[in-house]
Amino acid sequence: MKRGFIPLLGLVLLIGVSALARATDGFQAVTSDGARQLSVARHPRSIPDVRLIDQNGHSFSLADYRGKTLLVDFIYTRCPTLCGVLGNDFHRVLAAMPNKQLDLLSVSFDPANDDHEALKLYGDRFGATAPRWRIAVAADRRGLDALLRTFGVVVIPDGIGGFVHDGFIYVVDQHGRFANIIEPNASAQMIEAAMRPAKP
Amino acid sequence: MRRIARYKLLLAACVAWACLWLPPLRSMLESDMTLHMTVQLPLLTAIGVMLAMVLRPHEPCWFADADWLGIPGVLLAIFTTSLWMLPRMLDLALGNVSIDLLKFASLPLLAGLPLGLSWPRVPALGRAFLWANLISMLATMGGLYLGAPQRLCAYYRLDQQSAAGTALVAIAIVLGLAWFIVLFIGAPSPAKPRSADKSRINERFGWGASHTFPRS
Amino acid sequence: MTTQAIGTSRGGIDAGIAVRAYLAVTGIVLLLMMLFGFTMRLAQAQWINIEPNTFYMILTMHGSGMVGITGLSGAAVMWYFVRRHVPVSTGVFVANLVFFLVGALLILGSGFIGGFAGAWTFLYPLPEHSGGLWSANAAAFYMLGLLVIGVGFLLLHLDVLRGIISVYGGLGAGLGAKQAFGLAPEKDGPPPAVAAATMASISNIVGIVIGAVVLVLMLVTLYVPSFTFNTLLAKNLIYYFGHTFINVTIYMAVIAVYEILPMHTHRAWKTNRAFYLAWVLSTLMVLTVYPHHLLMDFAMPTWMLIAGQIISWVSGLPVLLVTAFGALTNVYRSGIKWSVAAGLVFIGVAGWAIGVIPAIADGTVIVNSVMHNTQWVPGHFHTYLLLGMVAMMLGFMAYIGGGRAPSRLGPAGLWTFLIGGAIFVLAFLAGGAASVPRRYAVHLPGWLPYDRVGVIGAGLVVIGTSLLVTRFFLALRSPMSGDGIR
Repeated sequence: MKRGFIPLLGLVLLIGVSALARATDGFQAVTSDGARQLSVARHPRSIPDVRLIDQNGHSFSLADYRGKTLLVDFIYTRCPTLCGVLGNDFHRVLAAMPNKQLDLLSVSFDPANDDHEALKLYGDRFGATAPRWRIAVAADRRGLDALLRTFGVVVIPDGIGGFVHDGFIYVVDQHGRFANIIEPNASAQMIEAAMRPAKP
Repeated sequence: MRRIARYKLLLAACVAWACLWLPPLRSMLESDMTLHMTVQLPLLTAIGVMLAMVLRPHEPCWFADADWLGIPGVLLAIFTTSLWMLPRMLDLALGNVSIDLLKFASLPLLAGLPLGLSWPRVPALGRAFLWANLISMLATMGGLYLGAPQRLCAYYRLDQQSAAGTALVAIAIVLGLAWFIVLFIGAPSPAKPRSADKSRINERFGWGASHTFPRS
Repeated sequence: MTTQAIGTSRGGIDAGIAVRAYLAVTGIVLLLMMLFGFTMRLAQAQWINIEPNTFYMILTMHGSGMVGITGLSGAAVMWYFVRRHVPVSTGVFVANLVFFLVGALLILGSGFIGGFAGAWTFLYPLPEHSGGLWSANAAAFYMLGLLVIGVGFLLLHLDVLRGIISVYGGLGAGLGAKQAFGLAPEKDGPPPAVAAATMASISNIVGIVIGAVVLVLMLVTLYVPSFTFNTLLAKNLIYYFGHTFINVTIYMAVIAVYEILPMHTHRAWKTNRAFYLAWVLSTLMVLTVYPHHLLMDFAMPTWMLIAGQIISWVSGLPVLLVTAFGALTNVYRSGIKWSVAAGLVFIGVAGWAIGVIPAIADGTVIVNSVMHNTQWVPGHFHTYLLLGMVAMMLGFMAYIGGGRAPSRLGPAGLWTFLIGGAIFVLAFLAGGAASVPRRYAVHLPGWLPYDRVGVIGAGLVVIGTSLLVTRFFLALRSPMSGDGIR
């Protein structure tokens, strides 16, 4: 064994282990989804006050939802698969909790194709009526980007004209903070548990 | 290595580095998970190995001394490459140019360079063990990507993910077979080796230069 | 080739002490594992009462412990004889023993503390779905233990191959591939120990690398449940690893036959073209025959099952035939002076040969679908492992440390072991023929006669082995005998 070996080895181990620990949030998350889940649970994020336009052509702001819990999902109306599942999930939530202080919002990330006609058709398929359940597009591209960034949503082309995106439901609490994430196909109990008010 | 050849190698490494960073090549290699994991990341590491060949004469004495059997250097390379194998790090690199820049700096400088400098110091047995480990870890990574029912990277589709898994498993199998064939055939004339030959054989065994394993 | 006079290693650990340490560990662990087996047979015979959960835990420990200790002792046989021909590192050899002991502690802890009872085949996803019987940590300790043991064996086999390449140039030459295909004169071929060590090391390295893949995959899925894995593929990988590892124990132990018998007959072991061809073919077949463990998995591709059946009919045969014929011709009219060591290795060849017959039956699809879950299977593998591999290994143990021991101990141990072993495996085979299922903690009254005969056999095996192991330990007290180790 040569001089300086142990210090160098120690240094490499220290740097290596701490870099890996940092990259995995203390060995808890290896994917971006996992990391986002941890981060939101620890530090709820305030959401930007974005203006949107709903299926009836009405303009509204995210700040209007203060004081209520809001469930958000991200869809595009031509979606042949996941968005139908998301629509059904929201429909079930409405049926299970008709009187709750709870609103739903489906945001389209495909403003180029989703005019309010298309939004309305999507809403009608699942019995969505504004303002309880709005199907909306952001008023401008900047607003959409701000929303996607805040919620950590990544949308990529699927190679056959559509998009690949996630199937999570995002919970915004009464204080207007993005506070929780609900896994796809969650049961009503899990959704209710996820909506319980977090620490103020 | 002669001076001129060294400069040529340094130039080649820098040109390759720049080309990989420039948008046409970078966005092409990063648009697909297989290309990203099996072409871009290994090329970046290889640039570091080229740098090591250039810089070896200038290697600081303290490092050559402290890098006993090449352990710290190889370990650093293992840490760095495992970091960039994490799906989350791939996502971060794709979503954020500064993280991508970090990848472009760390893979050559903290993986390829230490690996290239330390490899000749690793004993033949250690090199063979590292090869065996590399093969098995590539297959393991591939198996994880193949088997995962959902997407692990936000920026890649499920089909890209399983293609990347298949590619990793295939690379592991090809590396394993190639290694086996080289060892099976061995030296052209299987004759009583002179001591000079022995180091050459040790070289082939661990796929690398010089050094025989110190027998205890 | 050069038979190098390799003396006591420079500065490091003495090779003779290292081999004796391997055999001492082997003696203790082997007896412990035999007692586990004896306990299971007693429980099945309903002469003692143990909880089914404990039974399955003991089953798991017995399986992994026996596979591990036969691997370890086989490695000792291989290393001891191959180092007469090629340079190998004593440090690596000792490191393997240390890795083994650490891994064995992890595995014993996973069972006796953590209650892990997923069988030594640790089929995915059983380790992570224990139904509350053991924790994820217990399963992880078990798999980590296997990984640690695998690391040690990987290093040892790589070092043996490195040594072989340094003398013979390549693995092909070490195996005698040119001689096998008539491309080089037979007399220039490697000695039997080298050919066998090459085959064993190649096979085990492939098996261990694949085993590491499935073990790490399972460790990841254990803690990150969002990762899953194809169960059938996992089973394929596990059996690839397990099949190869346990088979290689025999191919390592058989080196004892090649080396010990000629010392008694004063005739060199004949290495002809058939011998080398057998080892080349066996290398290929050991690496491709594993699907015969999956003949009951209807989801497997049919061609793999058919290939598995055909290869398993012939897989063991080449080396077995050249070894059996070689042993017979070596002994025939040689005026051999039998010793305990020679007797045991000879029994080993016979046990291996006989055990292959029921194995071939079980390797046939239509038989397998009826017999594979019966005691026929432990019957056949105990025949060639206990009466084959372990007999050869005990012969090696007697050879290394038998010279100074009391003279009666050896023959008494040998005969008790042989008679007990025969009763023990016949009880299994007969039980299997009568459709007694394997791996059941609780047996029906109709099965008890087989179990009770099995207990008697198992008891005799334990006694016989104890005598042989005691003989070895007694010989350790005296200064090292001149058995050629230095």
